[in-house]
Amino acid sequence: MSVFNEQGALHGLQNLDSQSIGAIYDQYFSEVHRYVRYRVDDDALAEDIASDVFVRLLEASQKRQGPQTNLRGWLIATASHAVNDHLRRRYRRPTEALTEFVPDGAPGVTAEVDLREQNRAVQSAYARLTAEQQDVLALRFGQGYSLEETALTMKRKVNAVKALQFRALAALQRLIGEVNDD
Amino acid sequence: MTDLYDILETCLNEIEQGADVDTVLFRYPEFADELRPILETSAQLKAKAVPAPSAEVVRRNRAKVLQHASEMRERKAAPLRRRIWSPQLRSALAALMVVFLFLLSGTGLVRASSTTLPGDDLYPVKRSWESVQLFFTFNADARETLELEHENERLEEVTELFAMGRTADVDFSGYVTRQTGDEWLVSGIPVLLSSQTRLPDGPVRVGDAVRVRGQARDGGVAALRIDLLSSNPDLPEIENGNDSAAEQPENSNEQVEQESGSGSDNDAPPLLLTVVPTPTAKPQKVTLEGVVTSLQDKLIVVNGVVMDIKTAEVKGTPAVGAVAKAEGSFDASGIFIVTKIEFKSVAATVTPGSGGTNDNTVNTNDDSNNDDNSNTNNNTNDDGGGSGKNGNDSNGNSGGGG
Repeated sequence: MSVFNEQGALHGLQNLDSQSIGAIYDQYFSEVHRYVRYRVDDDALAEDIASDVFVRLLEASQKRQGPQTNLRGWLIATASHAVNDHLRRRYRRPTEALTEFVPDGAPGVTAEVDLREQNRAVQSAYARLTAEQQDVLALRFGQGYSLEETALTMKRKVNAVKALQFRALAALQRLIGEVNDD
Repeated sequence: MTDLYDILETCLNEIEQGADVDTVLFRYPEFADELRPILETSAQLKAKAVPAPSAEVVRRNRAKVLQHASEMRERKAAPLRRRIWSPQLRSALAALMVVFLFLLSGTGLVRASSTTLPGDDLYPVKRSWESVQLFFTFNADARETLELEHENERLEEVTELFAMGRTADVDFSGYVTRQTGDEWLVSGIPVLLSSQTRLPDGPVRVGDAVRVRGQARDGGVAALRIDLLSSNPDLPEIENGNDSAAEQPENSNEQVEQESGSGSDNDAPPLLLTVVPTPTAKPQKVTLEGVVTSLQDKLIVVNGVVMDIKTAEVKGTPAVGAVAKAEGSFDASGIFIVTKIEFKSVAATVTPGSGGTNDNTVNTNDDSNNDDNSNTNNNTNDDGGGSGKNGNDSNGNSGGGG
């Protein structure tokens, strides 16, 4: 399998060359899709947003706003914006996600919840985090990026990311606790 | 508080290496209570299952993205063809373009564009500047020289693209110096033919001038289209055989099959693309013209073609930058053996960024003749003292192309 030639592909992208565009897609679609799916928890939506990221790449390249280097970073950052845009639009309407959090006043669930419940709890809690908190967690734990890679993608300093991941995890933990609380 | 963030990061890394939460927290007893729930949450996050996209989803979206790209390409190409320019609009725009480029010529932009290649942002500026130069070159000889220089520049751009390993769409003209099946050499540049290549109706032979359009990549140009610019007038008549080649002293081994079948065994196909060594056939005499780019004893390079002037009758002084008109024929290795050559030195070569067109051979201010095409009477004078004129350049452009 040949090594992905980023510089060559970026030049081909500028000319809207199919071969280059196909190569970029093949190289990065899974990764972008994984990031988006991690954040939005909906197959159809994730697919839409993920492909939209590549369309944005095409448009940006023709307006000379595309990436010159670090294509992966650009794609994930764009995916992040695309997800954030979607979430902003969604939350203008009342959503079901919030209703899951209304404590029903029933006697508390014990510490032993079954795994599916727990996953749902994590997902619901995650959805309640700020976009930035979601982003850092998706990059660090969903994509498995290192601290440095995460900082590069988010265009933040490493120390800022350290603080952010702590606070995001703490917030998430608290929110999960709220779902499971007695 | 900073310590806590660092410690968290350290713990996360260790857990990633395989350590378990308790072991890790053992090292930080004072933070254990605070960190434990956080580390557990991180474990839950990592455990979160993310379904990968199915093959169908991947395929479907790939097609979608490529479709979008194809639509964008069409949008890019189409408007230029469909736009209807009124003559007034064209000339007004041309005038504006000319003024703009003269203003720019003092800045670094034109100079900066002079080394750009197809695919670069500033490449259109370079091409527009070349058109402007042509537009303001009144004298026919100087204009011809300039055109040859531009042709040569196209060749150098392609070579540079190869050297850099870049892929780009290219459009250049040159002489066919060799044809080996699907791989030709056009002014030294490898041109690869495929089923996608559109060829002219008639035969293309070594020595013909062609225009190649295609994509430069991996050291060759994948040709999408090859047009015959003009069949070389010095080529012998096909029906009579090679009478005009009789004066050739050289004996070339590499021949293109002749329709008259001189020396060839098989039925000559109408497209003479394959090279068949036929020692009995005489070499074809051709005339080539271009700018000398390199000079080494008895070998010179003219618009990408290597020429041997050892046995040539020389007129004028060989010099880099001079225009050369050479008669001769191609030998087996694709080198052009010259019988007669004439060098015309150029007084002032015009290069982008030199502050304006400076054509020393002519300096006229002529508004009276204005034939056929849609150019306006435009007399802009730049500080170099160039002339305003109404040119009829060969493409009917008003110097605003790019």
